[in-house]
Amino acid sequence: MKAIANLKTRYANYQALDSKDKTTYWKESLLNNAMYLIIIVAVIYTAVHNPKFLTVSSIVNIISLSAANIPIAVGIAGTIVLTGTDLSAGRVVGLTACISASLLQATTYATKIFPNLPVMPIPLVILIVLAVGAVVGLVNGFFVAHFKLHPFIVTLATQLIVYGILLMYIMLNGNNGQPLSGLDQSFKDFVTGHIVKIGSVPIPNYVWFAVVVIIFMWFVWNKTSFGKNMFAVGSNPEAANVSGVNVAKTTILVHTLAGAMYGITGFIESARIGSNQAGTGLNYECDAIAACVIGGVSFVGGTGKISGVVMGVFVLRIIFVALNFLSINMNMQYVIKGLIILFACAIDMRKYLVRK
Amino acid sequence: MKKRLMAMLLCVAMTAAMVVGCGGSGGSSDSGDGDAKEESSEGGAASDLNVGVFYYTYSDTYIASVRTALDGKLEEKGITYQDYDANNNQTTQNEQIDTAIQTGANLLIVNIVTSGSVDASTQIIDKAKAADIPVIFFNRAVEDDDTEGQVLGSYEKCAFVGTDAPEAGHMQGAMIGDYLVENYDKVDLNKDGKISYAMFMGQLGNAEAIYRTQYAVEDANAKLKENEKPELVFFDESNTDKYQVDQDGAWSAAAANNYMTTNLSQYNEGNNNMIELIICNNDGMAEGAIAALNDKGYNLGEGKTIPVFGVDATDAAKQLIGDGKMVGTIKQDADGMADCIAALTQNAADGKGLMDGTDSYNKSDKVANKIYIPYGTYTGEE
Repeated sequence: MKAIANLKTRYANYQALDSKDKTTYWKESLLNNAMYLIIIVAVIYTAVHNPKFLTVSSIVNIISLSAANIPIAVGIAGTIVLTGTDLSAGRVVGLTACISASLLQATTYATKIFPNLPVMPIPLVILIVLAVGAVVGLVNGFFVAHFKLHPFIVTLATQLIVYGILLMYIMLNGNNGQPLSGLDQSFKDFVTGHIVKIGSVPIPNYVWFAVVVIIFMWFVWNKTSFGKNMFAVGSNPEAANVSGVNVAKTTILVHTLAGAMYGITGFIESARIGSNQAGTGLNYECDAIAACVIGGVSFVGGTGKISGVVMGVFVLRIIFVALNFLSINMNMQYVIKGLIILFACAIDMRKYLVRK
Repeated sequence: MKKRLMAMLLCVAMTAAMVVGCGGSGGSSDSGDGDAKEESSEGGAASDLNVGVFYYTYSDTYIASVRTALDGKLEEKGITYQDYDANNNQTTQNEQIDTAIQTGANLLIVNIVTSGSVDASTQIIDKAKAADIPVIFFNRAVEDDDTEGQVLGSYEKCAFVGTDAPEAGHMQGAMIGDYLVENYDKVDLNKDGKISYAMFMGQLGNAEAIYRTQYAVEDANAKLKENEKPELVFFDESNTDKYQVDQDGAWSAAAANNYMTTNLSQYNEGNNNMIELIICNNDGMAEGAIAALNDKGYNLGEGKTIPVFGVDATDAAKQLIGDGKMVGTIKQDADGMADCIAALTQNAADGKGLMDGTDSYNKSDKVANKIYIPYGTYTGEE
C-alpha cells in the first residue's frame, strides 16, 4: 500500500514540473539507470545473436556463477560503506577453501593431507572457516579502528600474512603444495548437489546458501542498530561519534563480519572447483569490489544497498557469460570489463558532483 | 591514556600470537622466504658454498615439488642455501639476487620469472658476471628458439636445466591422437563423424601455454589424419581463438570451471552438440573442468565420461586417472630436475666445471650447457 502511495506522490510531483524540468527529469533518470539499461540492451543483443543465452540451463548457470561470489561481495561491501576496502578477501577465500578441503577429503583418497583425520562433520567445518575468516577480519578491523590506518594498508599487509600462512598450510605433512582434491562425496553433495530442479536443470545447493546470506545481510544492514551505525560511521565518523556511536566497535565488527563472509565463499569454492591450491582465491577481491561499485556502493562512503551489490555481482557474471556466448576475443573482454567498471563509477560519482 | 595502553598491549599480543601461529604451522614444513638453513653435516665437505635459490613463485604446484626435492638434496649434501620467492615479479627477483650477492651468495640457482626473455636473463647473467659467480637457470626458459645460445653462450659459468617447452605440447597431442584413433566412435557422442573439443589455456603470452595450446591440437590432428579420420573441431564455431584462457593468467581450476559450466549450459547432449574432448594446459584446469562435468553427471568414474587431458601429473590428477575420471597427463619430472641441479651444484662445490659429468643427460643440439629433463606421458601405469 505504502509503495503505491509513494508512486502516486512521485507521479504527482512529476506532473507538477514544467516541461523543461520534465526533460531534465527524464535525462537524469536515464543517466542514473544507464547501467541497467545497458545490461538490458546487452542481454537482448546476446539473446538475438545466440538464443541459447536465455534458455533455462543458461540462466541457472548465470545464477549459480553469481551465487558463489555473493558472500564475498556483500562482505566487502560493508568495508566500502566505511569508505575503506579489503584487499585480503581473495587470500582469505584461498585459505578457507584449502582448510575446508583438507578437513573434508575422502578417507580413501591416497594423498590426503591429514591421512589419519576422519571426514569432519560439515557444520563444524563451516564454523571453523567462519572463525578463521572472522579472525582475519578482526585483525583488519582492530588496526583500522585503533591505529586509524587506512584499510588499504592494513589489508595489504594482512593479505600477505594470510598468503604466507596458506603457502605453509599446503606444504604440511609432505603435501608439497599439491592441490587439495579428492573431496568427500557428502561435502560435494552438500554444496553442489541439488534439492530443486527447474525442468531437467538442477539448481545447486550453494545458490540457497547465497540466498540465506543475502537475507541475513539485508537484515543486518537495514534492521539492526549495528547496520544503522555502519552507515552513520561511513558517512561521517566524527558526527557518528558525537551522536554516541561506538565508531571503533562498529569498524571492527564490519571487518569481522566481512571476514566471516569470505569464509563462506571459501567453503563454497572449495567444493565447487574441486581443486584447491595456493593460487585459489587470487584476485577474487577485484571482482567483488567491482561488483559493489557497479551496484552503487560508493567509495564516498555511507551509501549502498544489498540489492545493489547482488545486482553488481549479476552484472559482472552476465557480462562474463554473454561475452562467451558471443565468442568475443579474449583481449576485447578485458577492455569491455574495464569500460563497464569505469562507466559505472563515473555514473555513481556524478550523483555527488551534481549535489555539490 | 589507559585505553590507548590497552589497545597497544592487545596489538602486541595479537602480533605475537600471529607470529607464533605462523611458526607453529610452518615448523614441520619447509623454510619460508628468507630463512636460511645450514646443515652442519658430518660430511663436512660442504666447502664455503653459499647458494641462493630463486623461485618464480611458491604458489606453483610443480615448482613446489621441485623445491621440496631440491631442498632435501642440498641438505643431504650439506650445502648452505637460501630460498627466495619472487611472487611472480621479475623486479622482486632481481632485487633478491642483488641482495643475495651482497650477503655473500657464490652460486645462483634461478627459476626466472619472465620466461623466454633474453633481456631479463641477460640482466641476471650480468649480475653473476660482475660478482664472478656461477649461475644455474632451471625450469623456465631463458631464451626462445630464435635467440638460442645468446644468453647461455655469453658466460662460461652458466647452465640451464629445464624442459623443452614445445615437448609437452607435442607429447600431449600424440597422446590425445593415439587415444582418439583407438576410441573414435566411443568419443564421438553425437555420431556426426567429428570430435568437438574444448581447450583451456593457462595464460596469454606464456611460451609454454602457447606451445601446449598449439601442438596438442596440431599433433593430435596429424595422428588422426594418418588414420584417415577427420580433424578435431573447436566446439564453438564462432570462437576464432580456439581456446578459452584464464583471464588472470593463473592457470587456475576456477577459470576452467567457470568456462566449462558456462559452455555446458549451451553445449550438451540435449542440444546434440556436447563437447566430446577436453584439453587443458595443466592438471589444475583439468580438475576444474572435471568438477563442472561432475555436476552434470559426467566423469564420475563410471557411466558417461568425456576424455580430459592435462599436463603436470599432480597427485590429484594421478588419482583422477586411477579412478577413470581423466584420461592422461604429461609428467614433468620434479625429482629428476632437482637431481640434475644438485649434481651441478656439487660440481661447483668441488671446484669443477659446472657441466662436468653431465654426458648422460639430454642436451640441446645447439647449446652445450642446456640440459633437457624429458617429459613423460602418464595414463595410469607408472
